[in-house]
Amino acid sequence: MPFGLIKDIDSYSKIINEILKYEISFNILKFSTGSRGINILIDIPEDKIKSITESLEKNNVIINKKGRVLVDLMKCVDCGACICLCPTEALHFNDEIRLEYLDDKCIGCLLCVDSCPRQVITENK
Amino acid sequence: MTKTYSEINEKIKNGNVVVVTAEEMIKIVEENGPKVAAEEIDVVTTGTFGPMCSSGAFLNFGHSDPPIKFEHLWLNDVHAYHGNAAVDCYIGCTRMADIRPFEYGGGHVIEDLVAKKPIRLRGISYTTDCYPLAEINTEFTIDDINQAILCNPRNAYQRYVCAVNSSDKTLYTYMGKLLPHFGNAHYAGAGCLNPLSNDPDYETIGMGTRIFLGGGTGYVIGEGTQHNPKNRQGTLFLKGDLKQMTPEYLRGVTYEKYGTSIFVGVGIPIPILNEGIAIKTAIKDEELITDVVDYGLPRRDRPALTKVSYKELKSGFIELNDKKVKCSSMSSLYYARKIAKELKKWIQDGKFFLNPPAETLSTETTFKPMKQKDELKFVRDLKKEAVTCYEDCDIKTVAEKIIYSNSNHIVIINHKNVLVGIVTSFDITRAIAEEKGILKDIMTRRVITTTDNEPLDIAARKMKLNEISALPVIDDNKIVIGIISSEELM
Repeated sequence: MPFGLIKDIDSYSKIINEILKYEISFNILKFSTGSRGINILIDIPEDKIKSITESLEKNNVIINKKGRVLVDLMKCVDCGACICLCPTEALHFNDEIRLEYLDDKCIGCLLCVDSCPRQVITENK
Repeated sequence: MTKTYSEINEKIKNGNVVVVTAEEMIKIVEENGPKVAAEEIDVVTTGTFGPMCSSGAFLNFGHSDPPIKFEHLWLNDVHAYHGNAAVDCYIGCTRMADIRPFEYGGGHVIEDLVAKKPIRLRGISYTTDCYPLAEINTEFTIDDINQAILCNPRNAYQRYVCAVNSSDKTLYTYMGKLLPHFGNAHYAGAGCLNPLSNDPDYETIGMGTRIFLGGGTGYVIGEGTQHNPKNRQGTLFLKGDLKQMTPEYLRGVTYEKYGTSIFVGVGIPIPILNEGIAIKTAIKDEELITDVVDYGLPRRDRPALTKVSYKELKSGFIELNDKKVKCSSMSSLYYARKIAKELKKWIQDGKFFLNPPAETLSTETTFKPMKQKDELKFVRDLKKEAVTCYEDCDIKTVAEKIIYSNSNHIVIINHKNVLVGIVTSFDITRAIAEEKGILKDIMTRRVITTTDNEPLDIAARKMKLNEISALPVIDDNKIVIGIISSEELM
């Protein structure tokens, strides 16, 4: 999932147009402004990642591809410390109150990684 | 009707004791009433499994040849305490390894020890005529040493608070990672399964009570530190033989930027001696209330924002200021249940007997704050007037102000005196080197600030953590009312 860092509002519309050229729908998962410009986190289909990344980079957009996380359940003590950090419920309890991780739901925000007291969760680089 | 410990133990011996867990007891009392429940149920088991920072173990290694009296010793690079006889030591779970602190600590040493892993021992001594050895380096496993006594001055809190964070920075605490602006909430404790919550007047739990501890048998040896019966926050001092415990119920943990600790499995059986006790062991999560406390304030007395029940906490969300805040536990409910069930099985199998305590826990102990002989000092006591410039100032004017006021920090404000940024003499120098001409481009906009009422120690820590040497002082409306620098703090 490319994470674009752009300088001004014109570039933002540039990005949208680039992606629209490909005629796909995408989700904006996160939109924030920082001291260095606008950050947006977008979710696009896997098969379009390469082509869209290339065209965004041509427009001087800095792309950070965020991976998801790796969860080593062998070390887990099912406490739940990570669960309230997860915005999408990728990390959640099953009926037995044991930790379950759904990779499909993970958006790679990485908020959970340093919340685990057993170092169960690591970034999937 | 009343039962005695002897009657219950007789039933355990004969294999016809009736044991249920604290969760199961709720339904039994609900459906049959406490009178019938008291007649039919003999024992209710409870359990909890969570981080318990006041835990550690006494170890005795046996004597070396030539003999050594430890002055300092390390177990896997974790400093253990020596202050007793020659080869006795105490390894505490929150002491971190000299090498790779925040990754490995006393809690991990205990887990590794119980898991029968080899532990490195290094010791040094000032030497005596009877203990002439100066240094020792060796390795041992739990089977090699003499006593290994788990000895935990504070375990199994009766209940604990729910922590939130109102500040604008993520906090890393013993209540886990707390996101800013009430981004999440953490609670601790097993709720209706919690041992002391099922015996809230301490009628059966006390000195000598036999318990499930760390996967083996242990004993209550009295009230724990910070025991606070008047606030229904009782604690227990527990001990047991590490050699018959298991690493499943003693797990070393690390809380990011906070430190290490250990998860301890505790399970306590409650004899249903009368109807009153039957009612108490049927306590429900919705009846167990605790406070939501704001850890955003770095002071001892943190504000309690609202009350919440363990039912609400276990639901995964709490309501705060009309918003739903995602909430999860620091302790494992899954393992709390497993412990209660395992203890139930031990009793049913005739392997575990109950015993009356030599003394029950105190209901009168008071929980006091630390006596501090020095009065607390605040930013308002030491701040000076800030040297300011408007944001539309040119850089030359700012540079002149730095020289004229002999001050390294210029606070940038708008025409309403509201803080917009800060500039140091280094920033000005860099601006010249990089040929940047506009103040707005070189000033730091994300300013770390302080307030009149912040204790000086907190302000000093802020400067240290952020590697800066001054903090503008602002009021509730972000208006600049002064500045405090590391010079004033020296």
